[in-house]
Amino acid sequence: MRKTDTVFHLAWQRLRYNKSRTLLTGIAILLTTMLLTAIGTVGVASFDMNRQIYSLSDYHASFNGLTPKQVQTLSSHIRVEALQTSETFADIKNGKMNGVLTFTNVLRDDRAETADSNTHALTLEEGHYPEAENEICSSPVFFRRVGANPVVGGKVTLSFRVNGKGEIQTKDFIISGLMPDMEIDEGIDDSRLMWAAFVSKALLQAYEDAGFYAAEPNATLRVYGEEELTFDEMEDRILSVAADIGLEESHVNLNKEYLSTVTDPGTEIIAIVTVICLIIILFSALVIYSIYYVGVITDVQEIGKLKALGASRRQIAGMFYWQGTIVSAFAIPAGLLIGFLLPYLLFPLVLWAYRSGSAISSYSRDAVEAVTGQIHMFSLPVLFAAAAASLATVVVSLQKPIRMAKKVSPVEAIRYQENTTDQKSRKGHHTVKVSTLTFANLTRNKRRTAVTILTMGLSCVLFICVSAVLSSVSAEDIARRNIPKGDFRISLEYAHYFDKEYPENNLDSLVQKNYFSDAFLSQLLAIEGVEKVERAPGIILSSTDMESVMYEDYDGRQPLSYFTREDVAELSAYLEQGSIDYDRMTANNEIVCTHVYSFEQYGLSIGDTFSLTLHDGSREIPFTTTLTALTQPDSNFSFLIMTEDTWNSLGLTCDPTTDIYLYADDEHYDSVKESLLELVAVNEYFTLYAMDVELKIGRSGVDLTRNPIYLLLSLIAVIGFINLINTMITSIVTRKKELGILQALGLSDSQLVRMLSGEGLVFTAGTLLISLTLGNFFGYLFYKWAKQEHFMSISRYHYPLWQSICLALVLLGGQLLITLFIGQKMKKESLIERIRNQE
Amino acid sequence: MKNQTNTILQTEDLCKYYGSGDNLVKAVDHIDLQIMQGEFVSIIGKSGSGKSTLLHMLGALDNPTSGKVYLDGENIASLKADKLSTIRRRKIGFIFQAFNLIPALNVWENIVLPLGLDGKPLDEAFIEDIIATLGLAEKKRSLPNTLSGGQQQRCAIARAIAAKPSLILADEPTGNLDTKTGDEVMALLKASAQKYGQTLVVITHNEEIAQMADRTIMLADGRILSGGIPTDRKNDAKEAVFHAKN
Repeated sequence: MRKTDTVFHLAWQRLRYNKSRTLLTGIAILLTTMLLTAIGTVGVASFDMNRQIYSLSDYHASFNGLTPKQVQTLSSHIRVEALQTSETFADIKNGKMNGVLTFTNVLRDDRAETADSNTHALTLEEGHYPEAENEICSSPVFFRRVGANPVVGGKVTLSFRVNGKGEIQTKDFIISGLMPDMEIDEGIDDSRLMWAAFVSKALLQAYEDAGFYAAEPNATLRVYGEEELTFDEMEDRILSVAADIGLEESHVNLNKEYLSTVTDPGTEIIAIVTVICLIIILFSALVIYSIYYVGVITDVQEIGKLKALGASRRQIAGMFYWQGTIVSAFAIPAGLLIGFLLPYLLFPLVLWAYRSGSAISSYSRDAVEAVTGQIHMFSLPVLFAAAAASLATVVVSLQKPIRMAKKVSPVEAIRYQENTTDQKSRKGHHTVKVSTLTFANLTRNKRRTAVTILTMGLSCVLFICVSAVLSSVSAEDIARRNIPKGDFRISLEYAHYFDKEYPENNLDSLVQKNYFSDAFLSQLLAIEGVEKVERAPGIILSSTDMESVMYEDYDGRQPLSYFTREDVAELSAYLEQGSIDYDRMTANNEIVCTHVYSFEQYGLSIGDTFSLTLHDGSREIPFTTTLTALTQPDSNFSFLIMTEDTWNSLGLTCDPTTDIYLYADDEHYDSVKESLLELVAVNEYFTLYAMDVELKIGRSGVDLTRNPIYLLLSLIAVIGFINLINTMITSIVTRKKELGILQALGLSDSQLVRMLSGEGLVFTAGTLLISLTLGNFFGYLFYKWAKQEHFMSISRYHYPLWQSICLALVLLGGQLLITLFIGQKMKKESLIERIRNQE
Repeated sequence: MKNQTNTILQTEDLCKYYGSGDNLVKAVDHIDLQIMQGEFVSIIGKSGSGKSTLLHMLGALDNPTSGKVYLDGENIASLKADKLSTIRRRKIGFIFQAFNLIPALNVWENIVLPLGLDGKPLDEAFIEDIIATLGLAEKKRSLPNTLSGGQQQRCAIARAIAAKPSLILADEPTGNLDTKTGDEVMALLKASAQKYGQTLVVITHNEEIAQMADRTIMLADGRILSGGIPTDRKNDAKEAVFHAKN
């Protein structure tokens, strides 16, 4: 045999002899490769999915509130590549149905091969886009909803208010075209859906000529340079186009997702993937390192013997490299395969779950539907990178153990008795109990104990940390924004502007009807299964004669409500500007603003004083107030709030309730919902919010993000767990003889198991301590950051309780099982064999 | 030695076989022996004669293939593992050739270990006395790896004696020591056993040590060549046979 053959043969035989160690190393390498491949593949898939989704809306920016002249200038602007306008012509009036009539028009698209000025960016299944004044097109489901037969050429009668104002118009339309059909979940109250139908330019023109309609089109556009320019340069170009037509920056909305996808392909995804991969490599390297490190310590005698027989330092190193290479040769291809198949099989599943869960956000549903099953996720460079990274991890992990092995001298090795401490004496205990033994073993090699606890702890810290954010991503929180209390909310829908033509839609008129009377509440309470009915804090409208952006926007009305003394803590916790002092505010009639965005938009500042008129039904109450605080709490508050005492001092005569919360018992939830749907159907001002629908909406978004991350986390946890198994096994195997002696001296089997589980418990406790302290600390910081970044609309911190419990149980259960397993395995060997071991 | 009245250890037809067929090794082959309370017995024989195997079975470390081992009249060959642990820590003290101290524990802890495992209260004066007798008073807090071979074996002796076992089993206790240290250790072991009234069974290659014993059992190929039964008992046995014949 040649020299290399001998070294290879030796490595091979050692792998076969130390089966459990080989297996552990193999699993660790396999998992590393698998995770790296899986994450890389998910990265490729996400990038492709984003590309596909964003290319569905491939415009660069939208310009809002344009004049027809500006549109004209835009359409001939040299920088503009494509331009599409849309105008919301009218609000459909049909009971509680929310809908609009719109007109879209593609004015320019230099990318199109043939110049077709008549495209409207709609996909029609049959027919054509409306051309004549009385033509209309939409999806068949829309026509069914308004009671028409959805066929091209069919007739439909619609009532609408042009520009959402003025008198209601009624008109007969002919269906000119049909878009693809959609399914609508029947459990959703009508008022929660938004419908749209498309009408012709001729119709708009006719109303405009008659002076009923003032066009204020919005435009979406593409500018030249997508291929060459960076994000910032694109932004500059778009803003300069806006400036050229005299449009203010505040009217420009960049399509940031699309722009960043095309100008900066996948930088964000690459960054995320790289960070996750580095973390995985770090953990894996620590685990693989510790397996080899303990391996060298265990085999010092064997290495010494090899050296005594003439093995050179290079040959010893070669033997370890071969061991790593052989295991990798099996583990890496397997890891690549599983790592690729995992996302390949799971990704469509996740998307499918998302699609079936999301009933309302039809845009994203369509987008996801459009790409499902055709996502490109195979990438040879990713597979190569994963394999290379895994191999590198193995090589790096081997360095220190190999250096240790090289240093082993033949003499030292044959004499060897594990002596990893320089300690000469030990204070010790007066009597020796099982716990003393446990403790002595752990402190004998403090570094190994610490490294194990640290590696296990770190992967668990990561788990808890991410869990803290994920558990705060709560479908219920999202749902609770619409239903702050109870299971249902009945809301009074009043005009959000001051409706001159139909004043009965205004809140001050509606409150006079006293819809939420005690009698009505009793009626609700009488429904079987309704446990409690509660009024939400009332709302009163205010108006002002002063010049104010805030009051112009809503045609002169802003809602006002109140906060209680108990609310002060929450309001103060999120205070942005000013100060909140309940008594001072009551004494001086002061108010708080609860929405930062609008505060800035309206150009408000702390200290602004307003002379307001409050509308209590037909009664008018003069009210002078000063704005003294700005805050943005999690809970729903009205835009402006005064103290409860100030509110009570107004002496309102009408009931200002706009919302009612209902609590139903679980058993009757469905029947209560049915009764409520019937009840609210009668009153066009009522909207029903049901918890199951809100939860469904919340969940569809939450699960899409949350589940894959949990999957990833559990795999990282598996690596940490392998580390635990490895530590336990090696710490027992290396001490086989010592444990034998202890048994010879009278340590019973149960005492042995107690001793070993004690050691495991210390590892577990240490790991838990680190993960629960550091994990929660970093988890909270991570949550704060995620909230600030509006990640998954996180608003409230949820302690990751069940994740922590799961972690503790898995760690405890796992190490107990390992101890018992090894204990059983050891019993198969007789005491004498164990004592003789290594002699 | 005195008090040679009661049998503390006895074997009946004790066998330990390894392997099977052509590879069958009869490590211990039909051994009957008897050791009296307080006796000092040495077991000698060549390598592979079955000395260690016999000692392991006497000390409840290994199970016989067949036959019985009576310790204080109880057949320990048929006991369960937990009961054997209790017997080992209460009735038997072991001394190994390789010392086999627990590296993580200091000298004191190593010595009181069997007591601790049994949950017995410490007879501190007694332990201190042993430590003083064995010359380890200065080394109580030292870890085993800082001790010389002689010191380590003295510590192992102290550990064997500390639980006041009735039987001390020593497997080549001087095998890893130089002659001078070996003699010292052996003298200490014999003196301690005598002082605390313990029965001492020692495996050795060393003729001198064998001669220090009250009786020497000679083994070859797993069988006893001589010394299996105490001399006075031998006469009793012969008499018994004689009476039976007549």
